[in-house]
Amino acid sequence: MLFRVDVAAAEPLADQIAAQVRGGIMRGDLSAGERLPSARELAEVLDVNLHTVLRAYAQLRDEELIELRRGRGAVVRGDADATRLRLVELARQFVREARRQGLEEAEMLAIVKEAQP
Amino acid sequence: MRRLWAAAVLVWLPVAVTAATWGSWSGRLPARVATHWGPSGAPDRFSSTEGFWTTMVVIGVVAGVVAVVAAVVAARAERLTRGADGTGPPRAADGGTEGRDVGRGASRTDDGVDREAIGVAARRLSNARFLLVGAGAASGATAGMWAATATAALADPVEPRLGWRFLYFAAGLAWGLVVWLAAGRVSRPVLPVGPAVNPLALGPTERAGFSTTLRAPLIAGVTLASAVLVMVLALTGPPALWFVALIPLAAGLAFGRIRVTADRRGLRLVTGLFGVPVKRIPLGDIAGAEVAEIDPMAWGGWGYRVTPGRSALVLRAGPGLVLQLRDGRRFAVTLDDPQTPAALLNALLNRVAG
Repeated sequence: MLFRVDVAAAEPLADQIAAQVRGGIMRGDLSAGERLPSARELAEVLDVNLHTVLRAYAQLRDEELIELRRGRGAVVRGDADATRLRLVELARQFVREARRQGLEEAEMLAIVKEAQP
Repeated sequence: MRRLWAAAVLVWLPVAVTAATWGSWSGRLPARVATHWGPSGAPDRFSSTEGFWTTMVVIGVVAGVVAVVAAVVAARAERLTRGADGTGPPRAADGGTEGRDVGRGASRTDDGVDREAIGVAARRLSNARFLLVGAGAASGATAGMWAATATAALADPVEPRLGWRFLYFAAGLAWGLVVWLAAGRVSRPVLPVGPAVNPLALGPTERAGFSTTLRAPLIAGVTLASAVLVMVLALTGPPALWFVALIPLAAGLAFGRIRVTADRRGLRLVTGLFGVPVKRIPLGDIAGAEVAEIDPMAWGGWGYRVTPGRSALVLRAGPGLVLQLRDGRRFAVTLDDPQTPAALLNALLNRVAG
């Protein structure tokens, strides 16, 4: 799959890389069991620091989207749920926009509750 | 093209030899000649001399006619695959497109190059050349058979022995080789390739790379099967074979999965298991990237293939990424989504070019 990052963007590079993988899983470009390039390889491909990629992979592991195993590299988890992931991604966008508007957590939750029919 | 005609003429030469020797030999030959010899070297089958000679001449003439037809077909196909100036893209307008279906017109692109017709012509050319060489071997073999039987009968009409005269037949078969040499090298067929791929829109501050894993169940399966075979042999045979089994085992594990990466450095293929580099093409060597349907037969078969002017990693038939290199060569690899790496490489090339 294609990885692309913008070094001039405000979003940290690690977040951009993680977003690429999330997008790949959502679109179906990355299927369960698929191997991601090793962190070292991806760092070379994108010409970024190794720790940046490791941070992105750790983030994806914490989101239970990939598995990191010594020697096997990063593998997309079999239970990576593309549908749920889409919701999480929408929620992320919502939170980002809400923060930008200076909303507090309680206000965000109130908006979500209001959105229910 | 002149060489193809010379090759066709050479196919007729043995026929001429068979025909000419009749005049000088027929008077001294018996009515029946030995045409088959048993394991002891004694003749065990005889045929009518005139009938045998006629058969040889007829087969030779048929081979000669086949050769001329093959030369005509090959000459036409060659003209089509080579193009007008021999370097530029070949154009279907050069002729030789008869017999093309109406439906194939769809493959004709804006630049007037009918890629499918060129692919058909390239295959036809190689078939015709094969036929030409085969006709040469057949024609030579008939003359050799005639020479062997006739000289055996002339040497000893009562108890003819074949002996070393078998070499006449071998030399006759080898005539095919002479025809092959006369026909010359195959002018490198210009393989049909898909239309140009638009470069990926890439901002000046953006960095992009493509990475994918290729699976080759065919290669893995074949190598593992041969490893099992060697192991079975090792059970019954010399134990040293156990080490021999390691070779296909390692090859199967290493080449069963291959990582393909396209980025600012170019294209690289690395084995999945040990990370052994299979192919590395720096971006500076690439002139352009294209997408094409890979026909394994047109690229020399399955696996890692090297043929004059091009190389390829062919794991299956289907879509593939084709790189045009600056030195005029090509490299192809079969991929599920060749559009993405092709667009990326073209974008990176544009960036380098400024």
